[in-house]
Formats: sequence, C-alpha cells, structure tokens
Amino acid sequence: MQPSTRTVIPGYSLRPPGEADARAALQRVFGEERGGERWSQACRAAGLTPGRVEDGEPFERVVEALSAQGGSTAVVARSMEIRLRTYARLAAHAAGASR
Amino acid sequence: MTAHDPLYDAARLQEIADLDLLSPEVDPTLADVAALAAERLGLPVSLISVVLDEALHVAGAHGIDGLWLGETRGHPVEWSFCATSVRTRDAFVVESAATHPEHATNPLVTQDGVRCYAGVPLISSRGHVLGNLCVVGLEERSFSPADVEVLRELAREAVRRIEARRAA
Repeated sequence: MQPSTRTVIPGYSLRPPGEADARAALQRVFGEERGGERWSQACRAAGLTPGRVEDGEPFERVVEALSAQGGSTAVVARSMEIRLRTYARLAAHAAGASR
Repeated sequence: MTAHDPLYDAARLQEIADLDLLSPEVDPTLADVAALAAERLGLPVSLISVVLDEALHVAGAHGIDGLWLGETRGHPVEWSFCATSVRTRDAFVVESAATHPEHATNPLVTQDGVRCYAGVPLISSRGHVLGNLCVVGLEERSFSPADVEVLRELAREAVRRIEARRAA
C-alpha cells in the first residue's frame, strides 16, 4: 500500500488520508483482523477491491460505505471524513493564497 | 499512542455513536452552553468537542462562524488540545500556547493564532470521556480555579442535555 501522494499543505503538515490510513485506523480500534474485515466489507459495498482503492473519489466512496456500517465503525469513518474535509478546505485556501 | 490509549477505545467510540453525537441536530441543543462559557470567561470561542479516534468533531460551538473550523466542524486529532482530557479525565489549561511544550508547534497556534485554552472533560454516566467543553482565545491569559469550576458546571449541563437526547 502506497501512502497518499497528494500535496502536503504548507504550515499544517497535513496530507489527506488514504486507504492505508483508514485501514490502520480501523485496526487500531478493532484489532488487526476485525479492523481489516470492516475495511474489506466497506470496499466490497463500494464495488472496489481492498488494497487497490485509489485516493480521491474511490476512497471517499469506501468511507461512505464504512459510515453505513454504523456504530463505532461510523465514528472511525467520521474521523476520515473530517480529515478529508479539513484537507480540502485548507488546500483550497493555500491555493488561493499562492495565486 | 499505545494499545491502551483511551482515544482508540472501541467502547468509548460506541458510546459516542449511541449518544448520536455526530448528528447535526446536536448543535442547537448545546450552542447556548458554549455561548455561556465564552461569555463567562470573556473569550471569543467556545466548543463542545467530541474527540474521535483520528479527529475532533465540533458538536456545539460559539464564535467559529467565518473561520475554517466553522466550515469543517472539526480537525485532525493531533492538533487537538481536547484530546489531553480524554487521556487524563481532568481539566487541561494552556495559558501560553506559543510557549507550551506540546502545542507550540501546533498549526492551530502557528497558523491560526490560538494563544490560550481551557477545557474540561465531558464524562458520560457510563464513565466514558466523550470530549470537552472548552474556551479558546487569541491572547495569552491565566485561568483561575474559579474559571475552571465555571467550565465544569457548564460541562455537567452539556452532558445532561446530551444524555436527555438518548433518553428521549
């Protein structure tokens, strides 16, 4: 699994989460096996193959599917959504400031 | 971060889900508690935060309209002052963020100008720390024990309202 290659935002040292980050987050909370299962289930629900989820729209689709699992899994999914949203908002601001 | 870090406790995260704390319907029930905290401590921003595993979620707020935080309603957990109280189950006060050993390099300090913080934990009746009631300012200041007690009192009210939603 390659980490996300999208640009780090200057000053914030922030990059958007990708598949490796989400899977690791699930495994931190639920353990290696159960966390991995939840990620695989979300990938299948999104019509994608675990281990081959690209950054951007495909990843966001899997996070949505993760959220649909509900309970504490949805809480982990919300973490990913907030990190994506923060990255998008700060990246847009940084791009505007550099023009 | 360790395997026993409360941030990653599945039961704590399940409690956050059970209390429906990520719903946008929570903010109207808590915004006036946040406004009161800001007013009583004389600071521009107050949050009722929910600390997730990898992010902080803003469940109720005062003073963040027009800020990027008002749009994102959260930020990465590694920038969170509130995460400390999840780990210690106690108040956390930062009177000079720019010189604080943990937060001097925090982007909220270096990029967004946060200079002071005081927060107390929101502890559910099941014993889980959900997040914090906190106040944030753009200038250094000291916080008295009485200031912290004001926050504790308002935090109890916030938890009462949060749990009333579960009971309803």
